[in-house]
Amino acid sequence: MIWLAAGGPVIPTFGGRGAFACERANRLFCSDWVSRNWSSVLWPALRQHIVLTLIAVSIGFVIATALALLAYRRGWLERPVLIVTSILYTIPSLALFELLEPSFGLTRTTAEIALVSYTLLIMFRNTLTGLREVPAEVRDAAIGMGMGPTQTLLRVELPLAAPAIIAGLRIATVTVISLATVASLIDNAGLGVPILTAISNDVFKTELIVAGAMAVGLALAADALLVIAQRILTPWTRAG
Amino acid sequence: MRKTLTTAVAVLGLVLALAACGSSKKTTTGASTPAKTSGATTHAASGPGAGKPAVTLGDKNFTEEYILGSLYQQALEAKGYKVALKGNIGSSELIYKALQSGQIDGYPEYTGTLLTAIANVTAPPKSAQAAYQQAKAFLETHGYTMLNPTPFYDSDAIGTTKAYATAHHLHTIADLKALGKSVKLGGLPEFRTRAQGLVGLKKDYGIDPTFVPLASGLFYNALDSGQVNVSDVFTTDPQLGSGKYVVLADPKHEFGYQNVGLIIKKSVLAAEGPAFAQTVNAVSALLTTKAIIAMNAAVAVSKQAPAAVAHQFLTANGLG
Amino acid sequence: MHSFLEAFKFIGRNGQVPGDPALPTLVHLTLETLKIAGIGVAISVAVALPLGLWLGHIHKGSFVAINLGNIWRALPSLAVLAIGVAFLGIGLRNVELALVVLAIPPIITNAYVAIDTIDRDVVDAARGMGLTGWEVLRQVELPLGVPLIFAGIRTAALFVVSTTTIAALTGYSGSLGDIINNETSYHLSGVLGAAICIAGLALVVEVLLGAVQRALTPRGLRVTGAKEVQAGATQIVTT
Repeated sequence: MIWLAAGGPVIPTFGGRGAFACERANRLFCSDWVSRNWSSVLWPALRQHIVLTLIAVSIGFVIATALALLAYRRGWLERPVLIVTSILYTIPSLALFELLEPSFGLTRTTAEIALVSYTLLIMFRNTLTGLREVPAEVRDAAIGMGMGPTQTLLRVELPLAAPAIIAGLRIATVTVISLATVASLIDNAGLGVPILTAISNDVFKTELIVAGAMAVGLALAADALLVIAQRILTPWTRAG
Repeated sequence: MRKTLTTAVAVLGLVLALAACGSSKKTTTGASTPAKTSGATTHAASGPGAGKPAVTLGDKNFTEEYILGSLYQQALEAKGYKVALKGNIGSSELIYKALQSGQIDGYPEYTGTLLTAIANVTAPPKSAQAAYQQAKAFLETHGYTMLNPTPFYDSDAIGTTKAYATAHHLHTIADLKALGKSVKLGGLPEFRTRAQGLVGLKKDYGIDPTFVPLASGLFYNALDSGQVNVSDVFTTDPQLGSGKYVVLADPKHEFGYQNVGLIIKKSVLAAEGPAFAQTVNAVSALLTTKAIIAMNAAVAVSKQAPAAVAHQFLTANGLG
Repeated sequence: MHSFLEAFKFIGRNGQVPGDPALPTLVHLTLETLKIAGIGVAISVAVALPLGLWLGHIHKGSFVAINLGNIWRALPSLAVLAIGVAFLGIGLRNVELALVVLAIPPIITNAYVAIDTIDRDVVDAARGMGLTGWEVLRQVELPLGVPLIFAGIRTAALFVVSTTTIAALTGYSGSLGDIINNETSYHLSGVLGAAICIAGLALVVEVLLGAVQRALTPRGLRVTGAKEVQAGATQIVTT
């Protein structure tokens, strides 16, 4: 059996001696590395992170709002929902991801289920509180005007509850962006991947710091966007 | 008020739609990060592999494996095969389970590790050839096979800084016995429980160090900072060439013979045709110790992406 | 389901893996996790609580206190831990530093809001009765602020316990996260067992601290956290 190719392989210089000096020294920030690896490492990770977050927050929002509307009409639901969502929120992310793994595998589904459960408590509580804080007089006025319960909900109660709802959405979104870094353990996507890769690559500082900064930046940007969205959707609160 | 609510609902709907679109596209995180799934990126339109069923390969949890995985994936794709690479699956024990459960069709494995960690062989083979034959025989009884082995081998070894070795007069692994628990030994978490790891070292050399689990790629970092005094290292680590570190002699061949061969399901091999094995073997034949160390250095020291390094190597040798 | 059965057996065995007596036990790692988390929380409370209380008392620094809370939530704990490792290397001190950084904001923000939002009339009445500033803080503001203050400490404590387990991913060994990081040696049953323990630990800490909070709350204020929910709507989650 011939194990060795005749004459041996051609070994390229992989950039030569002079190149990659910044990486070799493991300096805090190597701009060359960033530009070279942006489209293959950093941008895909950012994109995956955004998608992961959007899906989790959207699904969580739908579920939490539905639960809050139900609990608004049937008060006895509040306590059990609070207990369940509190327990889900309390379980540390690493543990929750692992507990879901046998049933759902190392897939994005597992990550999404865990992330969704972290959004439920805050969005449920905020939406319910926001609805309950609508002044009774306003509700009475609406009924006096002849609006039915659904109309009152859609045209009066929900809009007035909007600031609290969006505040909950803000907190949930930022929480998910933060936790999604750990989710990379499960589905190997998102900004957690370059962070973990960098750690096991002799603590490669540039990749670590850039990916970490991107995660923080994403969260702050999302928060700011939602604040702006709130100002647009509820112009009457601007004066307050 | 009604308008803003409708707008809000519309925006939410749009966002959901965008998210759904984004998720249905197969996001290729590209070759650089050890991504769990990187779809077929540059597979050639023609060649012996065109039209054959897609294959999924995997690789283990350290740099050299990432490079090997990329090498095989890219070489096969250049011949028209459709190969997905699930990177960074885990240690031998974990990736073998992934193989058995069908998550992957094959992965590059070290002959010695297969024998001790998976086949639970206690009598170590006497030569590299014997190790390969034994490994192949074991695999063939389970529906797999191992293609040609590489010229290079990469065994574990116990390394330390030159300073520590000189201070404690260390030349072989047995010299650690005298230091007892005061010596901190680092390694991947699985090292603690492996026969070709701490368990074997304790039995054969009588050493009893304090074990410090380390993430892969952090061995030299830990040696430099003093977090560990000695560490499990790989003989093809580029850092070993720097002169700062010393490898302790292993006269009892604790870590055995460790050439690499691609494990692949026999059924997949049959379905892919003869050119599959030929391509893989052509790549393996090129992997001399010097070549693999150069590639390891490009990834671990120059921080280039494993896939990019594999690509440069294959192109230089006409296989990319 | 079979895997969960194995996981409970693993817990019952105190985390011992048959055939390998050398691995750290579940009890040991749990205690280590609590120790690390405890140190982190203690340091953060010592640093952040006085600061937050004082700022609330003098009604200054609201911008910083509130926005600190917002920025805190945006910090991915994995990234903070990892960056700490990048700058300072792996080690207990650096993990503690990251934990303290992550635990301080909720404590400061909640302490600030707790004191700042106390009804001014009550404070004025107290001053009118002749109490000094310090006495007002100690005998009036502090008892009234206990629910929110303690909610901040609870949030921080829970966060620190969670993050301690994540530290294992950054290369620091010595917590329950080690088991999750080492499926090879502990097997899936071990990983699930450790996950159950971590979840249980968090829930126990949450319930215990909740009980302490209730015990510390002056009887007159023991209404079901309506004020908490209100504050939670716009500021820190006060679970």
